[in-house]
Amino acid sequence: MAPESHPAAAADAPSRNEHSRSRRFAGWREHHGWSAGASLRRLAARPLGSLLTITVMGLALALPLAFYLLLGNVQKLGDALGQSQAISVFLQPGQGAQQARLLADELGGRPELSGVAIKTPQQGMDELARMQGFSGALQSLGDNPLPFVLELRPRPDATAPVLERLVAEVRAMQGVQMVQDAGSWRQRLDALLAVGNRAVQVLASLLALAALLVVGNTVRVDIASRSEEIGVLLLLGASGAFVRRPYLYAGIWYGLLSGLLAAALAIMIEFALAGPVARLSQAYQGKLQVGGLPLWLLLAVPLAAAALGWLGARLVSAWQLRKAA
Amino acid sequence: MIQFDQVSKRYEGGHEALSQLSFEVPSGEMAFVTGHSGAGKSTLLKLLGLIERPSHGVISMDGKSLAKIRHGGVPKWRRRIGMVFQDHRLLMDRTVFANVELPLVIGTVAQAERARRVRAALEKVGLLACERQLPATLSTGEQQRVGIARAIVARPSLLIADEPTGNLDPQLALEIMGLFGEFQQLGTTVLIASHDLPLIKRMKRRVIVLDHGRLVADLAAQEVL
Repeated sequence: MAPESHPAAAADAPSRNEHSRSRRFAGWREHHGWSAGASLRRLAARPLGSLLTITVMGLALALPLAFYLLLGNVQKLGDALGQSQAISVFLQPGQGAQQARLLADELGGRPELSGVAIKTPQQGMDELARMQGFSGALQSLGDNPLPFVLELRPRPDATAPVLERLVAEVRAMQGVQMVQDAGSWRQRLDALLAVGNRAVQVLASLLALAALLVVGNTVRVDIASRSEEIGVLLLLGASGAFVRRPYLYAGIWYGLLSGLLAAALAIMIEFALAGPVARLSQAYQGKLQVGGLPLWLLLAVPLAAAALGWLGARLVSAWQLRKAA
Repeated sequence: MIQFDQVSKRYEGGHEALSQLSFEVPSGEMAFVTGHSGAGKSTLLKLLGLIERPSHGVISMDGKSLAKIRHGGVPKWRRRIGMVFQDHRLLMDRTVFANVELPLVIGTVAQAERARRVRAALEKVGLLACERQLPATLSTGEQQRVGIARAIVARPSLLIADEPTGNLDPQLALEIMGLFGEFQQLGTTVLIASHDLPLIKRMKRRVIVLDHGRLVADLAAQEVL
């Protein structure tokens, strides 16, 4: 039981002070690897608890994604139903090309408009002919009954009250039969979508906070259950960073896995919507191009969730270890 | 050299665990700190491990005051000393090897070197054959020897032990003390808190006697009967 020399001397190892920086770095890197592996094994060692945590976080992250998907598609639906916010000015029958040009020149100088296009009766007829179901009816017409139409394109920064005033003024102009403001309902839709987008942002922030708290609480329980081990490590000279490391990796794993789950759920929602959306698209002659979540977002969600998990673990472990120290 | 200069420790609530304690322990010496329960033995060791801070006075090692070590420097200080506890403080879900390896992992020592040092330490305490076992499969005495191997594996300049033989039978306790004696002979300063007077007498080392936090006797090895 009693060999002759000091154990460390017997090992013929250099003292701690003689360790080169690269060796220390190798040791530090090795501990990172160990911490990442050990924290993953701990998650696997209690599958039910880990699964519940990941599922709760995954659902919390999937919810704003689903709303984002829904809003994006409502926006696309709006685009399909009204390609632009153009204001159509139908001239009275009998108004010719010259009157149309004069009116277009007059309106073209308005500051709230970016441009005015003249659509001739023939162009209107051709457009109708291209639409399904109209070609037969048009053949039965003798003369072209369509009037000249001016398409007014508002500037993007033109506000709704300004455009409403413009529409009222144009309605009162001589030679104008009717004004159709396609932009007004679109503006209302855009306003609703802006409200929806803001609501999704708020919801996403709240649910991200919830996910952070879920990770934080899980790590808190984990740290509490290993308080004895932490105490020993601190007595042996472990730094706070050393003790925290496995818990930070646990937070990263929880976040990453729940982010992947959220992305998978979002893809499943896309697939679930695909059938009804295809039928809706057919009803609009294929104009409705409904899309899924962009790839960058699907990749960003697990990474952001991992960062969120790290943050939750970092906050809680720092607080817990301050108590333990 | 460890120096205690008029060191007092008063806990919240007013209990004074140590009172104006002054003594020196030269480097490479082995000394016992003894006294009745509540005499202040454990508090003294806690002050050396920076688990507690003194209320008054100065503790220094090799001329450097421990008061200058701030919170962030405590881990580095603790890596310089080895600590042995009565209740071993082993991690029961890790093998003997992993337990002994801990100070070297904390000290970011490379893996190959760690393996060499851990095996040397385990050989020193006679437990090399048990390296793959969990501590729960070992006897109390063997667990204490694992604790000692863990304390010496990083080659500390100071080894402190709080009642290291408290749960051991006399023969085993003597063997453990013999181990400490060997480390002292190799240049490590060893400070042991113990109330086992028969054992202390048999070891024939310097004895610092405390009573209610005060130094009542400081006996040189030859004065211990």
